[in-house]
Amino acid sequence: MRRRNLWIIALLVSLAFLGLSSVGMAADSATYGGTLRWREINDPPKGDPAMATDTVSSRMILCIFDTLVENDPDGKGLIPGLAESWEGNEDGTIFTFHLRKGVRFQKEHMGQPTENKGRVVKAGDWKYSFERLVHVTSPRAYFLDMIKGYQDFVDGKATEWSGIKVIDDYTLQFELEYPFAPFVSVLAYNSFMAVPREDAEKWGKDFNFHPIGTGPFVLDKWEHDQKVVLKKNPDYWRQDAEGNSLPYLDYVEIMVIPDNTIAYQEFKKGNIDAFPDFPDEFYTEARSEFGELLQERPWVGTYYYGFNNSKPPFKDNKELRQAFNYAVNRELISELVIEGRYPAGKGVLPPGMPGYNPDLEGYSFDPVKAKALMAAAGYPNGIEVELQVNNNPRHRAVAEAIQAQLMDLGIKLNLKILDWGVHLDMCERAETQMFRMGWVVDYMDPDNFLYVLLHSDNHGAKGNYSFYENKEVDTLLAKARVETDWNKRMALYREAEQMIVEDAPWVFLFHYSTSLLAQDWVKNIHLPAMGDYYTALYNVWIAK
Amino acid sequence: MFAYILRRLLYTIPVIWGVVTVVFILMAVVPGDPARIMMGQRGDPETLERIRSDLGLDLPIHRQYLRFMQEIIKGDLGTSYRTNQEVSEALIERFPATFKLAFWAMIFASVTGVAAGMLSAVKQYSLFDYSAMFIAIAGVSAPVFWVGLILLFIFAYTLNIVPGVGYGDGQLIYLLLPVITLGVRPAALIARLTRSCMLEVLNQDYIRTARAKGLAEKTVIIKHAFKNALIPVVTIIGTQLSALLSGAVLTETIFAWPGIGRLAVEALVARDFPMIRGTVIFMALIFLVANLVVDLSYGFIDPRVRYS
Repeated sequence: MRRRNLWIIALLVSLAFLGLSSVGMAADSATYGGTLRWREINDPPKGDPAMATDTVSSRMILCIFDTLVENDPDGKGLIPGLAESWEGNEDGTIFTFHLRKGVRFQKEHMGQPTENKGRVVKAGDWKYSFERLVHVTSPRAYFLDMIKGYQDFVDGKATEWSGIKVIDDYTLQFELEYPFAPFVSVLAYNSFMAVPREDAEKWGKDFNFHPIGTGPFVLDKWEHDQKVVLKKNPDYWRQDAEGNSLPYLDYVEIMVIPDNTIAYQEFKKGNIDAFPDFPDEFYTEARSEFGELLQERPWVGTYYYGFNNSKPPFKDNKELRQAFNYAVNRELISELVIEGRYPAGKGVLPPGMPGYNPDLEGYSFDPVKAKALMAAAGYPNGIEVELQVNNNPRHRAVAEAIQAQLMDLGIKLNLKILDWGVHLDMCERAETQMFRMGWVVDYMDPDNFLYVLLHSDNHGAKGNYSFYENKEVDTLLAKARVETDWNKRMALYREAEQMIVEDAPWVFLFHYSTSLLAQDWVKNIHLPAMGDYYTALYNVWIAK
Repeated sequence: MFAYILRRLLYTIPVIWGVVTVVFILMAVVPGDPARIMMGQRGDPETLERIRSDLGLDLPIHRQYLRFMQEIIKGDLGTSYRTNQEVSEALIERFPATFKLAFWAMIFASVTGVAAGMLSAVKQYSLFDYSAMFIAIAGVSAPVFWVGLILLFIFAYTLNIVPGVGYGDGQLIYLLLPVITLGVRPAALIARLTRSCMLEVLNQDYIRTARAKGLAEKTVIIKHAFKNALIPVVTIIGTQLSALLSGAVLTETIFAWPGIGRLAVEALVARDFPMIRGTVIFMALIFLVANLVVDLSYGFIDPRVRYS
């Protein structure tokens, strides 16, 4: 009898637990409705994906449009977007995409019906969208210059982009001029979105203020320098794991608050739900006050000081370049100046990027070695060098800290602080001795870092601002571009990176981090590796 | 008077031309390529050239200038490089917010400044006088961003009695803190000037005569003294108003106010030449019109002023 009672009690306790967990599950289950208020520092300058090059515009664009393929939020490869599947031929020159059926363009925009009337997206729309990049002189069209017929189409010698072929309504094919292994990754870039012809032609250049796509939200209101209101797209193609329609949210409001101090106060007051790119000045306080609500993870990006490798004193003086690398205490600077938020950089590729080599030795702080290398480089008594930095409080603080550190080795660093535009101009003309620069991923492939930033084909504006040139590295990087075997490619990149680190064309400083502070009532919001502005909002819900 | 106004309006043409030309030259010589900024950190030279060509930046500088002047004469301020929006449209869109802020800030500044200045002069060396002038000195010295932040922390984030930032849907409550922030400095200037002008006038013989005639002190102060002290005060109100109308960058930034000041600063950072030129022309026009209105108002204040 007593034993039977025990069983009954055990059963009741188990049921109670089950009951509790189902309550817990109910509390965690998604709910429809609500508005997410997302803070941005300025008004998005561009609503047209073809024209956008900044992160604020990208935030809005990623809510309104879709790409063929998407980056996995954790940076582990690609996931299907509007293409359900894809395949490449053996030599990596032909890529065929099978499109998702039933995806519709948005039928409403700013409270008015759109010209496309919510029709289905077909392969022809993709061909139009890619050709439009050239028609509107997209600053990012050249990312696709490997597609056959690009140059003829740009030069007006052809009426269509011959390498983009519509096989049938739901099959799109790209033929490349040469094998280019990272091609599919490039298509995940946020300029390459499906655009409805009818609406793009109706609005012309004003499509910039009337963006219409296939994404989870439609543009409802755009009050410049105040807010952008995005409304739920009832025809959005994506569903949650249970087959429920998405998005959960009724609205997303991108609120423009230029001042960080005020934005943080507004967050604390509960007037903002999501605060991306959280500033250093409140980091410690927010970390202790909000704990895990402040998400932070490595961003796929690298922060460096480039040497001008085309002019003395750094040209042909590897010892001098290495000495600078050994003379900087990266961990200390990160700790003192940026709250330890940026991990020290060992090489070019950041953590999270395929091909990243965690065992790369790099340069650790070693003043004795630095001193010896200075002497070997012909500067036993030190050197005076100009460091050019673009005007930004964080960059300035880092530069001042490094300036103080290098002084111990007799290196006098003269800081030159310039506006971004002027800074870029001077860097691309090789009119600097040393300069600050950073690079954050466009597409998840080492090619986007190593080839773009360090191949001699890209000297100047194309990305290689340090004017670095090493024939062996060039050969390895060129070989990696056409290699279709993934493992072999990664091996080539690692070999190239090792040689670059040895050559020290930069002071490898830090890798970036990305951050997002969200209120506890914002559920299922996950900071992706590609940066805060890539945060998916279609599966976020509000529970309050 | 009509001839005077017409002549003054005609004078604005060479002034605007001068302003436009100086801005054009400055933009041409300042380093920083707008096409390059549009492309971002990385760009291929060929696309860069196409963008420069689309924007007309590949033309020789004198042709760019002629083209620009032709457009100005036609009333076309051009299209923003950064957003593709018509410059005139962007200015028209932002002006109501700027006007609202500047107008109410000047009302606040004029009322508090004139009242404090008059009372200080009348009650010279009193506790009120010392207090008001101390506050005025603090008001002139306090940086705008500091005043704005302090007001926000007290009234919006601690007492929670007014909204923090933004324009709302145009409700007046959103104006309260930005208006005070923006109005503090002009109020202090007006108070100090009103006091010194009033003191000067109060020592004049005709004031003694008015008092000797047995006029009420209120009448002496308002009708005889204040009216005569008003001309410098009106001048400063006019110049302050025109300065505020051309955008108050710091106040607009702190309060996320969608005005012309922020538009101008963002244009400068992006080397958005058409927008920079548009905002400068707009600001120059505001100054000219405000100065004209101030000059015309002298005739109403002082009958001795004649326009010929």
